Amino acid sequence: MKKYITASLLFFWVVSSSAFAIDGNELLEKVDRNLQPESYEMYRKLINIEPDGSKKEYVLFTVKKGQDKMVALFLSPASEKGRATLRLGDNMWLYIPSVGKPIRITSLQSVVGGVFNNSDILRLDYSSEYDATILEETEESYVLACKAKTSSVAYDRLKMNVDKKTMVPVTIECHAASGMLIKTLYYKEIKDFGDGLVRPSVLETDSPLYKGYKSVMIYAKINKKELADEVFTLNYLPRVDELR
Amino acid sequence: MRNNGCRICCRVLFFAAFLFLFSLPVKAEDDYSFDIAAFEPKPFEFGGYAEIKWEHMDLNKEGAFYGLNFYDDPRSTLDRFTGTMQLDGRYKKGIWTFNGLLNAAGRHDNNDWSDSLDVFEANLSLKPTPFATVDLGKKTFKWGKGYAWNPVGFIDRSKDPNDPEEAMEGYIGAGLDLIKSFDGSMQTIALTTVVLPVREDVNEDFGEKDHVNLAAKLYMLYLDTDIDFIIFTGNSRSTRYGIDFSRNLTTNFEIHGEFAYITDFKQNYLSETEELIPREGSVKRYLAGLRYLTESDITTIIEFYHNGAGFSESELGRFYQLVDDAYTDLQNTGSDALLQKAKNISGMGYAAPQAGRNYLYLKINQKDPFDILYFTPGLITILNLDDQSYSISPEILYTGFTNWELRMRLTVLNGGNHTEFEEKQNEDKLECRIRYHF
Repeated sequence: MKKYITASLLFFWVVSSSAFAIDGNELLEKVDRNLQPESYEMYRKLINIEPDGSKKEYVLFTVKKGQDKMVALFLSPASEKGRATLRLGDNMWLYIPSVGKPIRITSLQSVVGGVFNNSDILRLDYSSEYDATILEETEESYVLACKAKTSSVAYDRLKMNVDKKTMVPVTIECHAASGMLIKTLYYKEIKDFGDGLVRPSVLETDSPLYKGYKSVMIYAKINKKELADEVFTLNYLPRVDELR
Repeated sequence: MRNNGCRICCRVLFFAAFLFLFSLPVKAEDDYSFDIAAFEPKPFEFGGYAEIKWEHMDLNKEGAFYGLNFYDDPRSTLDRFTGTMQLDGRYKKGIWTFNGLLNAAGRHDNNDWSDSLDVFEANLSLKPTPFATVDLGKKTFKWGKGYAWNPVGFIDRSKDPNDPEEAMEGYIGAGLDLIKSFDGSMQTIALTTVVLPVREDVNEDFGEKDHVNLAAKLYMLYLDTDIDFIIFTGNSRSTRYGIDFSRNLTTNFEIHGEFAYITDFKQNYLSETEELIPREGSVKRYLAGLRYLTESDITTIIEFYHNGAGFSESELGRFYQLVDDAYTDLQNTGSDALLQKAKNISGMGYAAPQAGRNYLYLKINQKDPFDILYFTPGLITILNLDDQSYSISPEILYTGFTNWELRMRLTVLNGGNHTEFEEKQNEDKLECRIRYHF
């Protein structure tokens, strides 16, 4: 009898946890689609704010296709203009016009300095990089626990607070495998971008590793766009500007 | 040979560089507003930078190259000011794009004024689809995966390992670029072909005149590894074959390599009797490197470079001995004939920045240490593995003011008697550079 009870309990634990896992992943996919179409073009401004209030701004044009292809081109400031970063799954490259050829970079580096790193700037869908389970559910929100699918993902774990009404994230805590908090992302200012896309237009981040520093990303234009796969190749990187 | 108009133009650009650097205020940014209209694409766009650089060099009076360059003007230090302006522009109409890159520089040191105005790039590009591009005109090619050296850069100009990220002058030619992407292990295949003519006034410095050369690069992204197969054929230079690769082993650890096989390489070397002897044969050049990033944002680049076309330690030693003998001869007899001979020989490869066979390159820098954003201290070392001489260059870079770049670098050279870096012209060099991008 004891055996049956143990087996039944084990069965229900497995079923319930896998049911949660499926719900969590579905929810994460929904969050992704509410944040951005699968293939799109987008303009962003990135602001690094230092403890003394001084700022440095960057403007990026970004295109993404499917689950794992993304390119970001710097339009401003002049010192960065023409730089382009390409992401194909876990592979990332940086093209600097004067260097004349793409070099491999890593997700943990930051091409702009500040709190945002390359994986924040070239972020793929959360559901393509994480498995999610629902940790908690309240009247207003879900709390998702997300675990990286591979060790090459920049943050091993995410704790994502999702607003039930809009089904977009409000805060995301990014943790290393050790459990250390690397940074917190704050999604703010819901805006209608047209074509049914209603999502936060500002993303702020701070980090205990950069005390007093803050970085902000402002989204200005997100449009669905059909793109050829060849756009996401090293040979095309010097010409990304021609997609605008 | 420069005409007066060109000289005046260079000087105007030189002073314009100063004007830019000292008249523009450091811009303070305002708020979170984002006026996207300011970033709409325009048919004509241009940009560039203005730069001033001061270099102070303590000359190496015992060095062979000091003897060659300063035997008639002995001095212990040299100061040089350089003003540079680089302009790049682009005009786009439909599927056609014209790209131009101009570089003008004026230099003044204790002795001389010199200037230059170079068209680095001027090409017309036709892009009918994302799959194909046709280029016609002057274009810079930078092939290979190495950071400091590129053995497979068959149609590249040699870069300076101390400043490998600087723009360089291109060559005139016609190119076709084809790209195809796939699903699966083979993600991308791309073919780049370049036709490069060498004639009177066209790519004259590339090699033998009155030939048309062909270079091709087949790139593939296979199993997350970048791989290039490269070939150069034509009679301006001998035929050569190359392969390179680059791959991330982990997210913060990248490895890369290049291998080049050069057929019929011709070279003159100095024999034990101090006679110039020609030799010809196949040579190999190869490079192996890595790039590693730590959690504290320290980037390390290490590269080993073997240049089969370089001179051996003893061949370089013989050249340095020849210069010593020539200098002694000058002091004893007043004749500079032997020194002129040595000067001519130096132009046959002995004066190249890295004329030897085996080198190790190390670059370490840390972004934003001590929570100081946009501050990057670093260190570059080049070691000649054959004679153990080396150069070491600590530097600091600050990019915290929008569009400004401030860099200070000290280079110290060292080694034993008749070793490569010990025989260079400078003992050390201090460099301060201010660059403004617009």
